[in-house]
Amino acid sequence: MISVYRSGTSILHRLPPGLKLIGFIGTSLVIAVTTTHLLEVVAAATFVMTGYAAAGLGARALTSQILAVKWVIVFMLVPQLLFLSALDAVSNTARVVLILVLAALFTMTTRIPDLLDAAERAASPLRRVGIRPESVALLLGLSITSIPVIAGFAATVRDAQRARGISAHRVTFAVPLLIMSLKHADDLADAVNARGIES
Amino acid sequence: MNPDRLISFRGVSVDFDSRTALEDVSVLLDQRRIAVIGSNGSGKSTFARLLNGLASASDGEVRVHGIDPLRQGRLLRRRVGFIFSNPDSQIVMPTVAEDIAFSLRGRGLSRTEIDERVSRMIDTYGLADHADGPAHSLSGGQKQLLALSSVLVSEPELIVADEPTALLDAANTRRISNHLLDDMHQQLVLVTHDLGLARRCDVALRFDHGRLVACGDPDTVIADYERSHA
Repeated sequence: MISVYRSGTSILHRLPPGLKLIGFIGTSLVIAVTTTHLLEVVAAATFVMTGYAAAGLGARALTSQILAVKWVIVFMLVPQLLFLSALDAVSNTARVVLILVLAALFTMTTRIPDLLDAAERAASPLRRVGIRPESVALLLGLSITSIPVIAGFAATVRDAQRARGISAHRVTFAVPLLIMSLKHADDLADAVNARGIES
Repeated sequence: MNPDRLISFRGVSVDFDSRTALEDVSVLLDQRRIAVIGSNGSGKSTFARLLNGLASASDGEVRVHGIDPLRQGRLLRRRVGFIFSNPDSQIVMPTVAEDIAFSLRGRGLSRTEIDERVSRMIDTYGLADHADGPAHSLSGGQKQLLALSSVLVSEPELIVADEPTALLDAANTRRISNHLLDDMHQQLVLVTHDLGLARRCDVALRFDHGRLVACGDPDTVIADYERSHA
């Protein structure tokens, strides 16, 4: 769901990451709070599509981001259709999907080091209460990087259990996943320290 | 002895909980390529981790190019690069270029200088086609090349490689080992089970049950090691 940077020279690529982040958070809030009618959903969708066009990413990138959240759409839309009107169910789901697609636009046009620098600057007031802004930025970067790794661990655990004929269960799935994740966290801490970066 | 390359261990021991990982190790090394061999659990990796402060000595004194890892850990880690055996656990940032650039954070370099250094590494190690691609999607060999690039971009004086070819196929083992043993000018400490690689070094150290049992000409040390396992 978190996309990697696509190089480019568009206005969105050139915007300062801090400003872009504020813009993303603000737009997401507006979409979350105000888009309750179909017309507003259409307007928000048009805005997001314009963003993709402005970033030079096009319909293909937009479609792949929507496909990446297809299960979110299914899990949100189906239960709501049972209890709400079709219009409300669609607009509720569309709000979430638009925010996710917008988040992908942000990560596709922002280099992670730039984002870390912006996060470090934003977190600099925390130094007064004993929190190092460098650590906040590092935490953000490592969280983003670890998502595909944890997803890979989940697939490994599922495959290992299938190979042994063990049926899916929350505990038998969660325990090895947790252990693998903790081991990865240890290894990652060593890798960060070994590169001379204070964590 | 070359003081710029001097690694000295004086009576070094390392204890983990109730287990002694390294016991009373004393050695002076200034060779360019140093091989470290021994069975699993013999203390090789602990020896390697002491070299950039990832492990601390419980007793004795370690000096790496004149730096005390205990007191000057940060300075040491900026001069000593470390390559782990599992390339997956070394990837810190999402894309290849970002991961290499991460090593240069907090070094006071300009964006232009960082971009230039990263581009140079990407070109040298054949990663140009993947520069903006997800680092975790690379093959095992490419990930290890990325790890090597991420270490070399910060221009360390010493590179410690802890079984860097353990998870690689024959072609990638040859590629990585050629980079490490032949192409680089930096001093190298290579922890390995691959005795062919150890033979290509200038000196070999052999550990057994936490003790340094041999240090000298690689052919002699390896022959002795093979005889002990015959």
